[in-house]
Amino acid sequence: MTDERPWERWLRREPGTPDAGPPGPEPPPWGQSAGPAVPAPGRPTAVPSGSNRSAPGSRIWTVGDVTRAVRDVLRAGDTFRDLWVEGEVGQVTVSAAGHCYFALRDGRSQLACVFFRAQRASSPFEARTGLRVVAHGRLDVYEAGGTYQLYVDSLQPAGFGDLALQFEALKAKLLAEGLFDAARRRPLPRSPRLIGVATSPSGAVLHDILHVLRRRWPLTSVVLAPCQVQGDAAPASIVAALGRLARWQDPLDGTVPDVLILARGGGSPQDLWAFNDERVVRAVAASPIPVVTGVGHETDVTLVDFAADVRAPTPSAAAELVVPSRQEAAAALAALRGRLVASTERALGAGRAALEVERRALARVHPATVLAGERQRTAELLDRAGRAIERRLAGDRDRLGRAADRLPLLVTGRLAAARAELGAAAAGLAALSPYATLERGYAIVRAPDGRVLVEARATAVGEQLDVRLARGALDAIVANVRDSE
Amino acid sequence: MANGPVETLTFDAALAELGEVVARLEAGGMPLEESIALYERGVALHARCAHLLDDAELRVQRLVEEAGGALRAIDLRPDDVDDEAGTSA
Repeated sequence: MTDERPWERWLRREPGTPDAGPPGPEPPPWGQSAGPAVPAPGRPTAVPSGSNRSAPGSRIWTVGDVTRAVRDVLRAGDTFRDLWVEGEVGQVTVSAAGHCYFALRDGRSQLACVFFRAQRASSPFEARTGLRVVAHGRLDVYEAGGTYQLYVDSLQPAGFGDLALQFEALKAKLLAEGLFDAARRRPLPRSPRLIGVATSPSGAVLHDILHVLRRRWPLTSVVLAPCQVQGDAAPASIVAALGRLARWQDPLDGTVPDVLILARGGGSPQDLWAFNDERVVRAVAASPIPVVTGVGHETDVTLVDFAADVRAPTPSAAAELVVPSRQEAAAALAALRGRLVASTERALGAGRAALEVERRALARVHPATVLAGERQRTAELLDRAGRAIERRLAGDRDRLGRAADRLPLLVTGRLAAARAELGAAAAGLAALSPYATLERGYAIVRAPDGRVLVEARATAVGEQLDVRLARGALDAIVANVRDSE
Repeated sequence: MANGPVETLTFDAALAELGEVVARLEAGGMPLEESIALYERGVALHARCAHLLDDAELRVQRLVEEAGGALRAIDLRPDDVDDEAGTSA
């Protein structure tokens, strides 16, 4: 084809082309003129007087006038401002500045296209020779070349239009059915025991998801249902995987998945198309277990995202969403530990106070000898409790770590103080004379060997006893022993 | 108070019980022996939670469907996943 020649010319010119400049009328390869030969702007030039081409009412135009007039016509209406053009890509040239020039062809004609660097950068799709594409942009005149061309702002593979229509039609249908209702969305478990993952068993996506879960919340389990995520077989494969996860129950502990992740890595709209499939969307909507989708990149939206209980922008983000944070859990745990320590200290303080009340009651009603026994028993109890706590605390100290090191010191310090206080009080009581009690009518009875008698059967008929009263004493002889009283 | 050995409790269950223990201790009004028992239970629960947070290992299994439609799970070690990720796009 002869139309290849201007391209070659363009390529030869390329090195001399300045590499800078914003997207603008860079000379296109199909221009025949090597440089702007723009005449004085504006008005048509009068027909030279010597012309033999004069005609009534006519005038001679400059090249620039014609070009601008055509441009004005092109720009006048809305027709060429917003065009979708489908065709096959001819030869593609990319300038040093990053602008892309190509022609769109069909069987009969071709259309010059410019795809500037800024627009190319945000396009997931590149023009490649031989591809059928749909280009969107505006038609305008390149004055220096005297050509018109399509200034492309987006490029899609051909067939995209059909897919986009399918997408919108299915979306409208499912929306009308209520499949996308916000009220259908279920809350996720705060910390799932078993996470079902439906994705490709190979590839970075599963790896990324597991990586996030290991870092963020390894206190859970994952069950993977492998599935194809691309191609004609993908929709049925995804539906089957979701079904398997829904009926899975761990034979050992009976655990069932309490949240599902449906994920796929980034790709072209065609790559992600399975996630717009009606069967897949319906399966997600009907899932008995809440579903989090993480399909493609942040900018990709598929229909399953609308049906999901939660839509995450990426697979990794989906993993982040379904589990709590280990850091936050550790902080909550540390806060509870602080309250455990503080409340235990208070409880021990209350116990000590209660003990004090009982001790005072004992001191009022019991003879000193009994009190001494009580004192010893109480001291032993307290000692035992103290030892138990100290033993416990010594073991705890390692486990609780440095932050909790204060606890054992505080608790044992408090117990030691309580013990000392109790000891002092009891010693004071012991100093009370037992004879003061005798003033209230009590007597102390001793056997001949000096034992204090507290039960009748400790003596025998005929034995001589020493009875000590508040004032004076009696030598008494046992006449009878009544053991039963 | 929930009972049973703390070693079998999940993190959530242990943390929830620890919360109850703390709430009871904070409410007060119980015998000293009971306070001490609660405290010891609390320490054990805390140790259980801390252990799970520090030492838990994510368990990963892969479902396989048998001919009859029955499901079976096989353990997937981290290496398996890494290998697969490394050998395919």
